[in-house]
Amino acid sequence: MDTSLLFSGFIFGLSIGSIYFLMAIGLSLCFGLMRVISLDQLLYYSVGAYIAYSVSLATGSFGLGLIAAVAVGGVVSLAIERMVFRRIYERDLTFSMITSFGVLLGGVGVIKFFWGLVPRPVPLPFSAQVDLLGTDVPAYRLLVVAVAAAVYIGIWLFLNRTVTGKAIRAGIESVEHVEGLGINVARLFTTTFVIAGTLSALAGALHAPLIMVDPHMGLEVLAFVFMVVIIGGLGSIKGTLVSAFIVGQVVSIGSLIYAPLAQVAPFVIMLLILLVKPTGLYGSALLKK
Amino acid sequence: MNAAALLSVNGLSASYGSAKVLFDISLAVAPRSIVACVGRNGAGKTTLLKTIAGFIKPTAGTVTAGDRTLIGLPPYDVARLGVKYVPQDKKVFSDLTVRENLELGSYATRDYNWDPVTTYFPKLKVLMDRKAGYLSGGERQMLMIGRAILGSPQVLLVDEPTEGLAPSIVAHLKNVFRELSKTAALVIVEQNLPLVCAIADKVYALSDGAIVATLSGSDEIRVDQCERFL
Repeated sequence: MDTSLLFSGFIFGLSIGSIYFLMAIGLSLCFGLMRVISLDQLLYYSVGAYIAYSVSLATGSFGLGLIAAVAVGGVVSLAIERMVFRRIYERDLTFSMITSFGVLLGGVGVIKFFWGLVPRPVPLPFSAQVDLLGTDVPAYRLLVVAVAAAVYIGIWLFLNRTVTGKAIRAGIESVEHVEGLGINVARLFTTTFVIAGTLSALAGALHAPLIMVDPHMGLEVLAFVFMVVIIGGLGSIKGTLVSAFIVGQVVSIGSLIYAPLAQVAPFVIMLLILLVKPTGLYGSALLKK
Repeated sequence: MNAAALLSVNGLSASYGSAKVLFDISLAVAPRSIVACVGRNGAGKTTLLKTIAGFIKPTAGTVTAGDRTLIGLPPYDVARLGVKYVPQDKKVFSDLTVRENLELGSYATRDYNWDPVTTYFPKLKVLMDRKAGYLSGGERQMLMIGRAILGSPQVLLVDEPTEGLAPSIVAHLKNVFRELSKTAALVIVEQNLPLVCAIADKVYALSDGAIVATLSGSDEIRVDQCERFL
């Protein structure tokens, strides 16, 4: 295989992995702390993409679209957490899965109502190419990777350097013990949920110029995002990053070798990893229902 | 119930689903006293502490700390009102260092004076940067109690603190409990009867979710008396 093509594939894999990472981090944190499967994160991803589309179309600025997407994603996720999730945190895991899937489907309906069924294109904010090791690489894809890297550093600093972040890490081990210290876990849950929703919206907005924005875009990446969370290990940020990188590369390089392979290979990788390490690459055995 | 009690429990009942586990429990904890709850496994001792701490919603009864009712409050509000629960599982936040564990103990009350903790448990001072997951059972118990006493709680609910610990650590904890009782009231669930008899001002014996005996004074609080309820 041509080295240049392989390198392009590597960069493509990095960028798609970055999108998966931004989405999966929220799912992983929500499960780790609140023990909920928040499928509605995929809705915030779609909302982020549509807001980026509409605002950038209206203002001509993708940057404004990105900011608006993140803000709307945060507000919508806050509203959903207050109206829906607060009532079901105590319930069984499957309850949150079914409820959040309902929120996702309802949200897709709302998107169809406002934006219709026709897929929408979002122009690339810049089409510059960067010469890397003799290969022309789209600068926008590098921006996506850089944003994901910045988010990883930001989340790491938040979780390791702030008391709220440490409380979230502690809550991933035992919510009951955190409550017993007088820490308002309801507020921790809301904070985590909004961070997750905001990052999902950011993922959608960043992904928008690379795909056609359509109402079902969230459902289309559902399997890949779940694979990232499961391979990385529930509740692990580092695991999510490594796993997103693996899945991104498998999808990208796999499609270069044989297109259908890109769809199947990540599942095979996931099965192999789970056979060796059932908690995922960096998952903790401490995580229990 | 005793009007001077710091913590009053009146007619408390609780259940797990349809299974009733506590029946009409009433007890009073005076300021700066140590109250022990003894009884066989499954007698309802842990459930009693968890219900007082807000982790289990009672089906009947009242719990008051001073003039504040604790019923209906989430556990974090109960803790903020000065009633802290130390569970029996010796579960520290293993991914966090000892220092970070203590930071979380200080978080709600904004009490960052750790002198009492390091005075009672000097060993923790040298373990500050160690991940709590690597601590021994005794060190974990020290950390859990240390975490809980930050913010100067009025009442400490301590569940089976000496279970599985070496005698030297049990002896150390005995002294710590005595010292703590000079500023706070303690409710201790414990099977170690010599310890109970050495420190308790009052003993409630539980059986099948109900209080079956109340012992007070050194004449009544004796190992042979308490043994009848195990």
